[in-house]
Amino acid sequence: MENYRVKDLMVPLSEYATVDKGATLFEAILALERAQEEFDHTKYRHRGVLILDKNKRVIGKLGQLDVLRALQPRGRQINQIDEIEKYGFSPGYIHSLHTQRRPGSLALVNLCREAATTKVEELMQTLEEGEHVDETSPIELAIHQLVFGHHLALLVTRGKEITGILRLTDVFAACFHTMKECEQTHDKG
Amino acid sequence: MQALQQLFKRIIQRVNINLRELDYDVDPYTKDLIPLDQMTKFYAFYGITPHHSLNFQFRHSNLAGSYFLGKCRTTNSILYKSDIRGDELKKKGDVYRCGKWEIPIQQDEGIDIKDSLLIKTLVHNYSHDPETPERFFISNTAAVHYANIHGSPTDGSFLGPFATVDLTTMNDCVIGSFSYVQAGEVNHLYVDPGTVWVRSPDNFNFLYRYPQEKLRRYIDFSAGSLPQGLLIDFVNDRKEAFQRIFDVVNIEPSVTVPGSASLDRYAVVKPKTQINENVLVSQRAYLQNAWLGKGANAQENCYIINSRLQGNNVTAHGAKIIEADLGKNVFVGFNSFLRGRPNGRLTIGKDCVIMPHTIIDIQEPLTIPDGHLVWGLVNDAADLEANSIALKTMASVSDHITRGSMHFEGHGGKFVTAFKERIHHILEANGAFYDGTQGEGHAQRNQNISFNTIQPYPEGDQQGLYPTILIKP
Repeated sequence: MENYRVKDLMVPLSEYATVDKGATLFEAILALERAQEEFDHTKYRHRGVLILDKNKRVIGKLGQLDVLRALQPRGRQINQIDEIEKYGFSPGYIHSLHTQRRPGSLALVNLCREAATTKVEELMQTLEEGEHVDETSPIELAIHQLVFGHHLALLVTRGKEITGILRLTDVFAACFHTMKECEQTHDKG
Repeated sequence: MQALQQLFKRIIQRVNINLRELDYDVDPYTKDLIPLDQMTKFYAFYGITPHHSLNFQFRHSNLAGSYFLGKCRTTNSILYKSDIRGDELKKKGDVYRCGKWEIPIQQDEGIDIKDSLLIKTLVHNYSHDPETPERFFISNTAAVHYANIHGSPTDGSFLGPFATVDLTTMNDCVIGSFSYVQAGEVNHLYVDPGTVWVRSPDNFNFLYRYPQEKLRRYIDFSAGSLPQGLLIDFVNDRKEAFQRIFDVVNIEPSVTVPGSASLDRYAVVKPKTQINENVLVSQRAYLQNAWLGKGANAQENCYIINSRLQGNNVTAHGAKIIEADLGKNVFVGFNSFLRGRPNGRLTIGKDCVIMPHTIIDIQEPLTIPDGHLVWGLVNDAADLEANSIALKTMASVSDHITRGSMHFEGHGGKFVTAFKERIHHILEANGAFYDGTQGEGHAQRNQNISFNTIQPYPEGDQQGLYPTILIKP
């Protein structure tokens, strides 16, 4: 474990799902499906899509939660309902209000149809300070960033260029593997 | 005057630092609200009675036109025409019960106001925070016209005009105009104007939000302007009557006051008013052709005009009742505005609860049946239908109920019981049930209050600031 560097565990950018700014949510999901088909099937599935600008620089990311967020009903009346959540009403009560105000439109098929045409830049998360890690950094540094930043992945850099993604799931797998090795060595000793 | 200006700036900065997370700047809302150059003209005054602690400490503060009773301390603060009424504070030897805790009170509780700006604000009741049972603090806070801080330790917050925070510990919050919050504890929260929120976690949650465009007719407060609207006009139209009673040193009551009732000398009483037994009329109350039945009360900043209250009525701080007839045991919550017309009177049946910050403003006669709960904005019978419910029906709610802009979730029975118990407690504290020997309350204890006045430096570097003053027995 101590010899792992970030680049040893990252998924190269070329293997990751990406779309250009201006793409729809549906196009992003197709890109995710394509990337998964081309990816090593023995590994964990991809869970996000990166958004690129016209210079092919990463400007944001779209995760599973962002997609689900896109399925939340929208509109002035709906916003008014959501606003009351801060006053301590239960999620069940809020949902019952949504159902009352927009009966039928809350069916999953309708929500998906509505969300599919949304532009990715309206849904994506922009990148924060602690989400980048240099590809030559020791994995311990990346673990620290993942834990304290509550991130599911980090963007791996070489200078100003983004070269890949370090996913929580791959770091976890590496830790698990190292732990097993340690135990086996201990038992033999 | 420079020292006073610096103090004002310092307070605003303290409030803004606390509200930075909400990105709220109180400066444009408070800049020209009070005439600093006139702050030397108004005296402050305090009450002396054998029934309340006498313990005042005023340091580096301006207290223009403000009133103090009980154990109060101000430091680095500006209080303009505010009432700091410490007649319900806990006393040494009391036991404060809060949930499973029984907290012995080791010393008299005090109201401690620090680094704060209070404009025409009422501070009353006692700290309901078990973490500070002996210190009811208000710090780094600005509250403007007719706000109420009632039993609510408050830090780093802003209260707009006619806003009330009740029995709630509040940190770093903005409470919009005409909003009422009773929620136990709130932190880092922006509450929109015209929000009425009563929450007891795990028991019930009541929320009503005024339509903003309709609320603006009654109260409108925007950056760079003084508070405006019908509520402000109503109060301003009667300002002169108060001017007269504050200018006169000795004033005799213009009506007969029974031995068990109390009429504050700083209340305005106009002709044809009748005060019956066990009635309490607090300072800055305004009565005109008002008939107050046994055990009724009119608290600070209340206006009762051309109206009859049958008895045991609570008219909470800031409530206004015009051209109305109220049955027995009607509760009218904080800052409510109930206005009938000479040819369109408002009749409220017995045992009704008018929620805090309710506006009933009608042109045609309107009758509210006995035992109803009313909230929000009511301009006619259709509004009443949408904004009221029989208390019995409310008590049977076991999950939730939604009516228009009103949301309720939880146990209706607990909600109704909580209100009834609170109303009973208020009547008891006010001495409404006094029988000549037992049940003494404010109406009996506040009858003989001596008032002393204190003044600021009239000129020089410290102009407008009051010297450090310590007053003890």
